[in-house]
Amino acid sequence: MIRIHDLNVTYRSNSRQVHAVRNANLTIEKGRITALVGESGSGKSTLLMAVTKLLPPGVSLKGSILFENRDLLSMTEGEIGSYRWKKIALILQGSMNSLTPVISIGSQIEEVLSFHLSLNGSLLKKRTHELLSEAGLDPSFSMRFPHELSGGQKQRAAIAMALACDPPFLLADEPTTALDVITQSEIIGMLERVVRARNMGMLMVTHDIALASSLGDEIVVMKDGRIVERGDPSSILHFPEHHHTRELISALRKIEGGTYHE
Amino acid sequence: MNSPGTSLYLENLGVTFTSKRSGKVDALKGISLKMEQGDTFALVGESGSGKTTLLRVVLGLLRPGGGKVFLLEKDLEKCTREELTQLRRQCGYIPQDPYGCLPPTLSVIQSVLEPCLIVGGRKSLPMAKDKAGKLLREAGLDDPSLWDSRVRSALSGGQRQRVSIARALVLDPLLLLADEPTSMQDASTRGEIIEILKRHVKRGMSLIFVTHDLFLARTAAERILVLYRGCPCEEGPSDEIVKDPLHPYTRALLAASPRLGQKIISVSRGSQENGLETEGCPFRSRCPETGEQCASLPPLKALGSRKVACWKVR
Repeated sequence: MIRIHDLNVTYRSNSRQVHAVRNANLTIEKGRITALVGESGSGKSTLLMAVTKLLPPGVSLKGSILFENRDLLSMTEGEIGSYRWKKIALILQGSMNSLTPVISIGSQIEEVLSFHLSLNGSLLKKRTHELLSEAGLDPSFSMRFPHELSGGQKQRAAIAMALACDPPFLLADEPTTALDVITQSEIIGMLERVVRARNMGMLMVTHDIALASSLGDEIVVMKDGRIVERGDPSSILHFPEHHHTRELISALRKIEGGTYHE
Repeated sequence: MNSPGTSLYLENLGVTFTSKRSGKVDALKGISLKMEQGDTFALVGESGSGKTTLLRVVLGLLRPGGGKVFLLEKDLEKCTREELTQLRRQCGYIPQDPYGCLPPTLSVIQSVLEPCLIVGGRKSLPMAKDKAGKLLREAGLDDPSLWDSRVRSALSGGQRQRVSIARALVLDPLLLLADEPTSMQDASTRGEIIEILKRHVKRGMSLIFVTHDLFLARTAAERILVLYRGCPCEEGPSDEIVKDPLHPYTRALLAASPRLGQKIISVSRGSQENGLETEGCPFRSRCPETGEQCASLPPLKALGSRKVACWKVR
């Protein structure tokens, strides 16, 4: 498991000190999906990015993130490099736009497999096709280039890449925010199946508490850099304790129920 | 028919694109609708359903392959360039992408004032400034120190979207075309932005609200038109469509929408490649209720206050 203990993230922006994450404690366990919910600026993405230390230079990280008895925060860049992708994979909202435009989808996945797992030859092709199918893409997609794919298909390709090294943990930052509800439902369904089948641990950041409640085993709510509430979806929805959680829920209930203007 | 007070009248509108991979594709097919002054309409459908294309046709940015478009009582086909410019000035447009639609060199307040400058010249600016400030405050950008900073360097996607909303409203449009105007907003601010639009509807503005979220569509508009691959599936009062969807595609959209405490259910897309049949019901390859009849295109049938294009609905 990944244990985030007393994490504080600060940086300077426009000569102002920003305390993006304050005293956060969070555990990501294998076989569990944790949904981290908050509005824009709540610090949820910063917290997720801190786990792989992928924050810009000049950002100060205090506290500890324990993984396999080591503190990720005190590792050098070289050491943590061997954890990213292999042990902890990442899917971002813009993952679909991070595919290299001039390389076919298949070659990009093969590159990950040969670099990290030293696969080659026919095994490389076979594994690439398996990964594409697992992410819901026909193996023929390996010949295509990113511009030939729709947003949802690109996000599937990015997920296939994230799964390439069979990582035990997956961090997903708003993986479906830019997609329509139909595509979102397919990708969330696929992600959930894959994560459960492989018994992975997933931390998913989302601004949508309804989406969080539809797939999380645990919902964690953040506001102004602090974790203000956590619990299983049904207790969070039915007995929210923090006023911010109540606000998030009631705003959605009004839109769902068609009673916003009453 | 087109009559006085009609904001928008579309009759049997069609748009065809030609693509290398798929040949001729109907981006819009058989779209008819009528909006009176103050009417609100939501266009709902997934990516590629033709929502944005429809807005582009309404603004005269794209010539339809067939059918009629009357915008503010004027037949677009017969408009001169000058007339088209005048018509567009009476329409507000909130494009989908707040990153691409605002001039990169302008400040927040300049972005909102630019339409006034173009239409009314410099002399109109002093008066317009108060209004622009009011609109920005209303849209939740209430810190005037932000107004002089450049959109590009200082604003998040959600904030840009609000600038774009203020910019679209600054000339008091008669018709507002809003293309997913709340896509980058948090749940709590989504409702607030719809409130702002509704205030303008009260003064007589008509609204076309584009979204893929049926719940949001109901909050924003009185009536909903559900599109699938350019074809109308279902049209009617928003409340009835959300409470009792008739078309299988509308039901699929509802099941896929996240709802508090409910599992989202996805409709299978089948193989990625098929589903581009040019004949028959466009939804049939994904439809759980498909039958033999569906090989021919179902007509849009009227059922009381609603219309639906599905052979299975009687």
